[in-house]
Amino acid sequence: MSADDPMLTSHQRRGADLPPVVVYEEVRKLFGDFVALDGVSIQVNQGEVMCLIGPSGSGKSTLLRCTNALEVVSSGRVIFEGKPLPSNETEARKIRQRMGMVFQNFELFPHKSTLDNVAIGPITVLGMKEGDARARAMKLLDKVGLTDKAGSFPSSLSGGQQQRVAIARALAMEPDVMLFDEPTSALDPETIGEVLNVMKQLAEEGMTMIVVTHEMTFARRVANWVVVFDHGKVVEQGPPEQIFDAPTCDRTRDFLGHLGWNG
Amino acid sequence: MTLDWSIVWESRYALAEGAKLTVMLTVITMLIAIPAGIVLAVMRLSKSRVLSTSSMCFVEFFRNLPLLLVVYWAFYVMPVFMGIEFSAFTTGLVALSLNVSAYNSETFRAGINSIRKGQTEAAIALGMSRGEAMRKIVIPQAWRRVLPVLASTWVSLFKDTSLVSVIAVGELAHVAMQIRSQTFRVLEMLTAMAVIYWLMGYPQAKLVDWIRKKYEVKE
Repeated sequence: MSADDPMLTSHQRRGADLPPVVVYEEVRKLFGDFVALDGVSIQVNQGEVMCLIGPSGSGKSTLLRCTNALEVVSSGRVIFEGKPLPSNETEARKIRQRMGMVFQNFELFPHKSTLDNVAIGPITVLGMKEGDARARAMKLLDKVGLTDKAGSFPSSLSGGQQQRVAIARALAMEPDVMLFDEPTSALDPETIGEVLNVMKQLAEEGMTMIVVTHEMTFARRVANWVVVFDHGKVVEQGPPEQIFDAPTCDRTRDFLGHLGWNG
Repeated sequence: MTLDWSIVWESRYALAEGAKLTVMLTVITMLIAIPAGIVLAVMRLSKSRVLSTSSMCFVEFFRNLPLLLVVYWAFYVMPVFMGIEFSAFTTGLVALSLNVSAYNSETFRAGINSIRKGQTEAAIALGMSRGEAMRKIVIPQAWRRVLPVLASTWVSLFKDTSLVSVIAVGELAHVAMQIRSQTFRVLEMLTAMAVIYWLMGYPQAKLVDWIRKKYEVKE
């Protein structure tokens, strides 16, 4: 099933009247003999929250990593704001500056304070003055509710706090799209909520987001579009009401059933 | 047997000069071998096969030769084959730097490899180049992890400088040996030499212990 399937009328999707932000065209990715992505064609509209769900190893994270060229596709194309991702590294860097990425294991820089973790992107990559970058970083820490931790080092923060700092770090580059790679999978249950709240707030502000997640409640409530992966292929996509309440595909029902999802 | 310790006191200025040279050899060698070690480690880890192979050859060559041999080689062979002739002090410095750079390279390589790949990816995802990610994110973290090992290398180097006495560099061991052969006061001079090395080395070893504790990686 593809995005232009007649069953999925365009008026259902947010941002359908605007040019898409990211389009994946027949994307294939191989690691040796292993086919991680097997001809994925989907699109992400402006202001849309797209959740990628599916079993582990189904290719969701690989697709996310192909979006900002952390992985290079084996065949097919990833088109960002109308242009295919450049193959040359210098050009790819310019594209990455416009995509924020949040990792499962936070990957905050442990030798830098919270504030400097957020400010380092603008300083190093955009050549912003340190004072200006720190002022921007402070505003973003305020947004994620962590101004009181500005001087702390990552090791003294909880997992949820670290992930909120990581979100602020990505936002500091003022990206056009945010990529989340299982942002809550490494968190203690009690800190998952604070991270999801920040993500929900971002979604409400109209940020375009691609979220690989196992948080079905989040996908159900916040996503505008949900894509189900299995064995490197898209098995079903649609608005969350369709995916969670009336899945059209057995594989989706199986997957949600295994997670104990009952609406 | 009668011992005459006065010879030690009478030679105090010469011994102090020797000790000064020992310290200088150690400091200058380390000042050369730290950046050289980083460059070699980064070369070794680079995607370019030419760079990584040449770094590997350099490191494996100098790491597996006895330092004493390298000292002799720099003194006798280097001038003949390469047409480079230095003072004994500089020759000693070259030999020590070649050896310690090779060791430091392995230390830095292990340090860099110990930093999770995700750290580089996070930096690259922000839009940094691989070089920027290495300089701003990986090396500063690797540096803290390798500091205790570098400190141990420092203490070994401090003692190994005595090997350059064989090419008549006037450092502490050479000075002490010379006084010994001129005065035949073998026991006194060897004892004095041991005491001086120990008194200088012990605080350094204690410093290493302190650094080890302070920068120990807690995960």
